[in-house]
Amino acid sequence: MTNINGKAYAMNAITPMRAWKSPILRLIFWLAPLFGLTDLKNLSFIHFARWVIVPHDKFPWLGGKQPRESVQSDYMLFFSNFNGTWNQYIDAFSAVLSKGLNYFWCWSDKFPGSVPVTGFKKYIARVQFDTDFYYNPYPYAATNDVKAAHRVQAALDDFAAKSANMTEQQFAEAYLHFLIRVQNDLGALGPAPEGT
Amino acid sequence: MGNQSGQSYGLTILSPIINNGSRAAAQDLALRHHLSKLANGEHSPFAKVPGTHFVRLVVMGDVVFVGYPARDEHLKSQYLICTADFDGELDPYLQTLARTIPAELDAIWKHCVGYPGATDPAKFAEYIKKCQVETTLYFSDVNDRTLEQTLKALLVKTAVTAFAERYQGQPASVVQPAFKKFLTELSQTPAPRPGAAGI
Repeated sequence: MTNINGKAYAMNAITPMRAWKSPILRLIFWLAPLFGLTDLKNLSFIHFARWVIVPHDKFPWLGGKQPRESVQSDYMLFFSNFNGTWNQYIDAFSAVLSKGLNYFWCWSDKFPGSVPVTGFKKYIARVQFDTDFYYNPYPYAATNDVKAAHRVQAALDDFAAKSANMTEQQFAEAYLHFLIRVQNDLGALGPAPEGT
Repeated sequence: MGNQSGQSYGLTILSPIINNGSRAAAQDLALRHHLSKLANGEHSPFAKVPGTHFVRLVVMGDVVFVGYPARDEHLKSQYLICTADFDGELDPYLQTLARTIPAELDAIWKHCVGYPGATDPAKFAEYIKKCQVETTLYFSDVNDRTLEQTLKALLVKTAVTAFAERYQGQPASVVQPAFKKFLTELSQTPAPRPGAAGI
């Protein structure tokens, strides 16, 4: 059982909420992309994340001898694939996305708020459950590595097209500009630091 | 928005696990044991399925009681949760999944109620959709690039870094022909294998 594969951490959390609150939260989730989820993108340490509301009467029932569920609360499942340690992740969310977190989780029972962070971490630890199998297709690449790689690819394609028939002098100048363009995105990939 | 963000699809399924009432042959324990031994990295079955980004498998035993006044209640079944982030649409992906790794899918989902097997991709897809729960909000940071494009870009990043380092300070008379050769070699180099160490 492991939550970690390379530089990615798989977090799973489940929180209960009163069924009457679900439509409100669905509306908030529907509105969230309209605001661009910019802060999440700017944090740039989450590959993929999802929030899933499971209504109390919508747990999958396949028939046969499987009994129907009779829980009364709706449940919100949260799954994230992030880079860094668990503490860094929760700290960053609390410090940068506290408003957004509160909008999403205030409907869950006993949610203490994302600030101060100590109570928030206790709550997350309580509602989190571990991953049994986790596959990562690019284990040595963090989200920033992926974004940097695409920028380098785009810059290389651009430079290759423009430099195809350049003189030596033209190439020298263009190559310098190319390096300046990609210099912040170069660097080696590698395993995550030990202990994370 | 739902399950899709750009060209990325976020599939979430909850498959009820068989409860045969016998602790000696508990399906959930057998499933956990199987998942603990499942090959990973480039040898993972999911590495063989084109367009597959992240996959997780989680045995969820019960819901959580967070304390009064929340309800202290329990599920009657345990669930195998599977989340998968992949390129494109659901139906083609499920067809490819069933055709590419049927034995591996059977070894995992045989512990679940009503699983028909992956030999018939249509029945497999129908089963998965019965277990699917709608993703209410899906976030994909890079949602306009396929897995193949990402793996290739990571190779390019590494290769350009090595080239810049090797030819630092060299005159254009040396760098320009080397760069043309570099581009040719790069275009002939396949993308790294998914899951391989080093990417």
